[in-house]
Amino acid sequence: MSLRRSLVIARLNALIIAVDPWPMVTLLAMPLVLMAFLEPVDRSLLAGQGYVGVNGSEVAVPGMAVMFAFFWMMFAGTGFFREHGWGTWDRLRASPARPAEIMVGKCLPILVLMLAQMAVLGAAGALLFGLRVRGSMTALVLLVVVFVGALLALAMALVSVCHTLNQTMVATNLGAIVLSGLGGSFAPVALLPAWARAAAPVSPAYWALRGSKAVILDGGGLAQVALPIAVLCAFAAFGVAVTAARFRFGEVKIADT
Amino acid sequence: MLRIAGLTKAYAGRAALRGVDLEIGPGQIVALLGPNGAGKTTLVSIATGLRRPDAGQVWIDGIDALAHSQRVRPRLGLAPQELGFYPTLRVRDNLAFFGRLAGLSRAALRERTLIVTEALDLTDLMDRYAGDLSGGEKRRLHTSLALLNRPRLLFLDEPTTGADVASRNSILAMVRGLVADGCAVCYCTHYLPEVEALGGSVTILEAGRVIASGGLEDIIAAHGGAGVRFRFDGAPPDLAGWTRDGAYLMTSAADPAVTAARAITCMGTAGDRLLAIDILHPTLETAYLALTGRRGTGHADEEEGEDVAAA
Repeated sequence: MSLRRSLVIARLNALIIAVDPWPMVTLLAMPLVLMAFLEPVDRSLLAGQGYVGVNGSEVAVPGMAVMFAFFWMMFAGTGFFREHGWGTWDRLRASPARPAEIMVGKCLPILVLMLAQMAVLGAAGALLFGLRVRGSMTALVLLVVVFVGALLALAMALVSVCHTLNQTMVATNLGAIVLSGLGGSFAPVALLPAWARAAAPVSPAYWALRGSKAVILDGGGLAQVALPIAVLCAFAAFGVAVTAARFRFGEVKIADT
Repeated sequence: MLRIAGLTKAYAGRAALRGVDLEIGPGQIVALLGPNGAGKTTLVSIATGLRRPDAGQVWIDGIDALAHSQRVRPRLGLAPQELGFYPTLRVRDNLAFFGRLAGLSRAALRERTLIVTEALDLTDLMDRYAGDLSGGEKRRLHTSLALLNRPRLLFLDEPTTGADVASRNSILAMVRGLVADGCAVCYCTHYLPEVEALGGSVTILEAGRVIASGGLEDIIAAHGGAGVRFRFDGAPPDLAGWTRDGAYLMTSAADPAVTAARAITCMGTAGDRLLAIDILHPTLETAYLALTGRRGTGHADEEEGEDVAAA
């Protein structure tokens, strides 16, 4: 395993994203717009739950950050299919780079950008909406890192099982809306229908938002996010296992939409 | 440099290669010919580690390439049949990426980029986006990416498809230079005049089998008798002893003029649709015709489809 080759591939993929930055800008701007809509609603909901001294950003900011993190799964997926469409996948495979180096190189920029998106949305939440973290920042950062890692692993699993770009885009877009909604990005899980409350734990968003609420609103620390982190690690392990079992470097994937 | 023995591969029960043997020494060029679906691309894919054979052996520079594909890859250059580069990036970025991936140092990358871009007339295109290049420029960029690591064994799979005359000449000159420098080249093509221009050896595949192999002159001497070729407006008539291929009707003949005259008298009304008569002298094309019953592609504007390489 050569870290140098992985970094060469990562640098190229970062460059590909950089030459067309508008999708990335959209993923940063849209959650901020939606936060502005949701903040007053969430303020009322939190007041109804007995929270005092809150402004709604404690729920609106993590909710939108989690939802839009899901959309990066689509970018992670399309990055692989694009190589097939551009005819570069076989060139990569015929190069000295090992399969693991190619995987790491392609995932690394997405991982960094997902973390950067979280950081920027958190900072913007603090500056624009008065978000204040009552609990441990270390616990929150750890939770975010594990959540992002789990989403990336699940994205790789999707790439492994999808044969066409269309399949991947439909799965990631629908998955982003359904799973983030189920996890409480739009409305607190407690207000969802009974069937949705029962299904909520199958979504990584549920565990990410449960952990963020424990830290941001309830002033919790590492102990309060231990369970969400453990479950998110299990999601990540599932994604890695599916990828290891199903990813075929020699498979011809269809990149045409 | 390359030794292939008994290579066998089937896709969903359909044989693509049936016990193919091939050898290419340092400084040698072997043109791999054959009709679509003959197995050329499959052979290249296996030799470069992109596919696994069902049986057979591949040695590159004395190393078992199937068991140690990672060890042989730094020695290889591959320009696949399908264009492969990053269209949203500049030519410069494409070259830098593949050079770095091959492990070139900063100085070596600069030197190799200069050599390769000069050889393939890309110097003035360095700041252009690859997706904005013309067809011939894209083909030259595609080929150049296979040369950055100074390969000792180079696979070029239909390297001039879609290239204009200038691009074609650049690529052929580059191949000659590489061979002169000791590089072993496996050159898959349908353009037979290119093979004659390059010289070297020829291996002809058909239906996954090697049907002829040897020096270019030897192949022509052994199989390249004279012949006649008619071109019709529409389907050619069915004449005994003649081969039909698209709008063409052809046969080998010791006395082409007499054979042509006799055939015309037997055509009946089909003769009204006769557009051209070619007397074929002994060339690689006549040898190819005699061996495969098919026409090679002799002109730059005649393109063949892709070789079959099912997933």
